[in-house]
Amino acid sequence: MDLDFTKEQKNFQIEVRSFLNETLETKVVEKVKNGVPITKEDSERWHKKLNEKGWLAGTWPKQYGGQDWDVVEKFIFEEECGSAGAPRIVPFGVGMLAPVLMKFGSQEQKDYWLPRMLTGEDWWCQGYSEPGSGSDLASLKTSAVREGDFYIVNGQKTWTTFAQHANMIFCLVRTSNEGKPQEGISFILIDMNSPGIEVRPIITLDGSHEVNEIFFSDVKVPAKNLVGEENKGWTYAKYLLTHERTGNANVAVSKRKIQKLKKLADDAKKNEQPLSNDPMFASRLAQIEIDLQNLEITNLRTLAAVEDGEAPGAESSIIKILGSEIEQDIDNLTRKSLGKRAFVNEPDALSSGYNGAEVFPKAAAYASGKYFNHRKKSIYAGSNEIQKNIISKLMLNL
Amino acid sequence: MDFKPSPERQILFDTLKKYFENEYSLTDRNISAHSDLGYSKKAWEAMRDLGILESLIDPEFDGFGGTALDISTVFEALGRGLVVEPFLEVGILAAKVLSRGNDYQKSLVKKILENDCLPILAHSETDTEYTKSFVETTLSKATDGSYTVSGIKRMVKHAAEATHFLVTCRENGDAFNEEGISIACIPTDRDGIKIDSFATIDGGRVSDLTFTNVNISSEELVGPLGKSYSIVSQAIDTGILAICSEALGIMERIKELTLEYLKTRKQFGVPIGKFQAIQHRMAQLLVEIEQARSSVINATIYFDDEAEREKTISAAKFSIGKIGTLVAEESIQMHGGMGMTWEYDLGHYAKRLVLIDHEFGDEDFHLQKYISL
Repeated sequence: MDLDFTKEQKNFQIEVRSFLNETLETKVVEKVKNGVPITKEDSERWHKKLNEKGWLAGTWPKQYGGQDWDVVEKFIFEEECGSAGAPRIVPFGVGMLAPVLMKFGSQEQKDYWLPRMLTGEDWWCQGYSEPGSGSDLASLKTSAVREGDFYIVNGQKTWTTFAQHANMIFCLVRTSNEGKPQEGISFILIDMNSPGIEVRPIITLDGSHEVNEIFFSDVKVPAKNLVGEENKGWTYAKYLLTHERTGNANVAVSKRKIQKLKKLADDAKKNEQPLSNDPMFASRLAQIEIDLQNLEITNLRTLAAVEDGEAPGAESSIIKILGSEIEQDIDNLTRKSLGKRAFVNEPDALSSGYNGAEVFPKAAAYASGKYFNHRKKSIYAGSNEIQKNIISKLMLNL
Repeated sequence: MDFKPSPERQILFDTLKKYFENEYSLTDRNISAHSDLGYSKKAWEAMRDLGILESLIDPEFDGFGGTALDISTVFEALGRGLVVEPFLEVGILAAKVLSRGNDYQKSLVKKILENDCLPILAHSETDTEYTKSFVETTLSKATDGSYTVSGIKRMVKHAAEATHFLVTCRENGDAFNEEGISIACIPTDRDGIKIDSFATIDGGRVSDLTFTNVNISSEELVGPLGKSYSIVSQAIDTGILAICSEALGIMERIKELTLEYLKTRKQFGVPIGKFQAIQHRMAQLLVEIEQARSSVINATIYFDDEAEREKTISAAKFSIGKIGTLVAEESIQMHGGMGMTWEYDLGHYAKRLVLIDHEFGDEDFHLQKYISL
């Protein structure tokens, strides 16, 4: 048994760390560390810098402009970014669509779309969920009917993250009603500026705008935008989801948040003592810390198995459940630690240009908001109940 | 990064696993575990012949193992077998203490391997005090330079056949003080020792031992007078690693039994494992068991690191205590009435798993300890 990284991996870790140190903008880091949503421009500047270094899509093969990172290198990069408070790479293009195009797309599609992801010419969003199709994704109804060189798309997508920023969307659409629902789904790329597309914001319970509804009315999509074969989209969608669910442990981010929570608890008072000395609080915090420490090992065990050539399977479901629940636990305890100040909701107090009264402690500005916003973590990317279905089927063979 | 055991340890684990599956019948185990002795001498002999004790003991004392990884590997296998024989008490606790003693006491470790000696650590004094330094048993010096030991030791497992008791005691200091603790190695036929023994819920006998002015010579002290806390502390930490690993083995076996049951037991015309209410309970158990395993791996990795050992050991014991009870309760629930019977294996595993939380500090104790470190 050996927990250490190899010498090369350690060197890579140092390289990532110093790159982040030199490149990250203090203002953006502060936003990330305080849990404030970053702007499209923040993301784009960060993507650009990563791309100049060749790290925007490190896991891509070298031929497409990546670094051929293996799972451990990807892990190191993401953990260092998490500790440093770097913005998350917006995953829809480089992390989600790209693997599908590389595996199932035509040469023409690869040559056209992949470079544009790196340069930032396209901002992608993901058209999966529909009002009537959440966990039961295969029941989706948005239709695409072939007419000559085009598909005519009609229907509605929902929960579409950052659709307000996107100029392209990859969509699951129904091209057949024959056979099982899974057998009539296709995977298609749609220009968000096409006539007939309307995007409406969905404001979440914390008041923020991340997700949207998208309405399609007779939208004309060139047939060459179909990925792979017609009616085989479900296979591609599942392939994409396994990519979506990796890297959900978020250990470094959670560690950073725990450090911040500890600081808050040292400064807060209860019974004339620092809150961190309160036995009930200390007990809750220690349990989260132990859970996180265990998750760190569980995650490394999964990585080591993949590194060893085992296929990543339902283990990513275990990680997704644990990672989301632990982060929610931290957000929950952070909210509690603020006491009455948790009523405050002034997320703008953490952005530049805020003119209102100073919020103290600063973390209170968006702590409750963040707590409510992060209830999404056990719902998105396949709800944790769906993850348990996957574990039952693939690991327990029930 | 590599989490796989070395090939040697994997072979050891597989050999033991197979042995317990084929040769260590749970029916026989349950009879001997709840007998007057509390274990089977025949099984003890047979398992000794396999070299299990040697794998727990350092080469310096004629063993061939004794590292944290060896201990963890062997005890996971012992857990799978639900072995009730005194490997923890003799091979870990007593052997660790005696290996820090004088030449004679060190020779007793070798005698353990030769089956000439069965020493048992008698340390715990009150039922609810888990702090390792809690010792009130007195050590008094007589005018001729010898000593007497007086006090009560409680819940000492497998004491009946012991040849020696290793008794923690103190000449001075408060009950919780780490300073002042000595260890006396007392032959069990010495005058002044009373043994009250009880049956247990999970198998094996426990005893309350009363020592009344038991005479010992200064040669019979293990380690330095008044400064032997670290000896008993390290022995107990090793014991914690061992029973956490034992608990892992038990959990894995419970997982197998429960999965098998879910796939064969039919209600409403289908195996009950087809019901989502059951699937989600079982999936949650799998997630928790993986976390428990990670906690034990973490404790094993840091076991020889003085600065990290106690914290990772407490984190593991806490995780095992919390998850172990959950696994026991949930597996009984999923088995329905079958989980409630003496005849079926599950209940016996579940009992041991829950009671492991009562050994060397429970989940609350170790959470508090983790916080304090």
